[in-house]
Amino acid sequence: MSTADWVTAATDVIVQRANERLEAHRRALFEGTDRLFAWLMAGQWAFGILIAYFFSPYGWEGKVRTVHFHVWVAVLLGGALSSMPIALALLRPGWWVTRHVIAASQMLWSALLIHLSGGRIETHFHVFVSLGILAFYRDWRVLGTATVVVVADHLARGILWPESVYGIVNPEWWRFLEHAFWVVFALAFLIWAGRKSLREMQQIAEGGAQLEALAENEWRRASVLERTAAG
Amino acid sequence: MVPSARWAIAGAAWLLAVAAGFGALLRYASTPAPQDAAPPERWPAATTLTRASARPQLLLFAHPRCPCTRASVAELARIMGRFHDRLDARVLVVQPPGADDRFADSALRERAGTIPGVKVSVDRDGVEARRFGAVASGTVLLYDGSGRLLFHGGITSARGHEGQSFGQQRIASLLTTGRADSDQAPVFGCVLFGGQTSRARRQPHVDS
Repeated sequence: MSTADWVTAATDVIVQRANERLEAHRRALFEGTDRLFAWLMAGQWAFGILIAYFFSPYGWEGKVRTVHFHVWVAVLLGGALSSMPIALALLRPGWWVTRHVIAASQMLWSALLIHLSGGRIETHFHVFVSLGILAFYRDWRVLGTATVVVVADHLARGILWPESVYGIVNPEWWRFLEHAFWVVFALAFLIWAGRKSLREMQQIAEGGAQLEALAENEWRRASVLERTAAG
Repeated sequence: MVPSARWAIAGAAWLLAVAAGFGALLRYASTPAPQDAAPPERWPAATTLTRASARPQLLLFAHPRCPCTRASVAELARIMGRFHDRLDARVLVVQPPGADDRFADSALRERAGTIPGVKVSVDRDGVEARRFGAVASGTVLLYDGSGRLLFHGGITSARGHEGQSFGQQRIASLLTTGRADSDQAPVFGCVLFGGQTSRARRQPHVDS
């Protein structure tokens, strides 16, 4: 084998090893973020029930009270929203489907919390906070799924019940674009940061693979010297 | 069955459950409370409520513990913020028959009391509510200076949901231009008289 062939073969091995290290790192990142969201989903469920209990514990008919519909919604719909992501995060961590279901569920949680808090404008911040946390995956496709859910929710409610989204009864047709602009504005930076972070992960993987190759080379040389000295 | 197929079935069931949940929530939020036939067209002669001035008079009937009415009180505050110089407003906290005086002591009553230009009083046994034909918490009546009914209905867009509403827009239009595209709007709130809604509906209005 010529020196050029040897260098090409060694480079291929290092590149392959770098890819393996990158994939392992990404998988650990996906699994860790899935677990984080499992906790977050459980926390949001509890928070949703607390909000419902705090804002609207009972419905009244005269002096007769019954548990308010919002409490049932928080328990049942909130439980449904969280159950699938939690199950996937625990049973299929790292699977691409898991993080997309989590993204969809997280954005639906925004819609539910906005409802439970009586449409408080402050609760709309949950949408942007969620996008920020979903960016932990460093996978733009996950942010894409989240955006599709937000857009679908805004479109559907914009047609059926505009005041619940825009706070006004007769929004202009372009009002939807104003909301979309701010989501795109946030997404642009999150996707840029995610790609930058991914490149850094790749550099770390390549550096690690090179170090491994150097260490292995040293080990082989030391073994040959030891065998020579022993012989 | 392969695991992916099981997950696909579970996913489809999950989507259905979530869609059904949001559908039920939307339906609940946008379903108005039962409306009474019609409130008195003229300020009732029998009422004990006094008019402080010849300005338009706005009445809001509120169940003291209805969570949906919190949004109505918030919207009343917005209306008063804009029209306090041309409107007298009163919140009647309805104490249902059989309830003791503590029943009317609530955060909602306190909140209403902090709105500038708004008088708050307790309507014991809902006498005035019946007189004015209000059966749902959040019912707003607007009378002009001569005692003629201009508007009746709610000032929120859904149950417990703050934000603009047709009722609010119509009141604003009536106060600024004297006209509105309609003189009513749906009410979103708790029923004021438990088990007595039908009786309240049968109660004749006192017109003067």
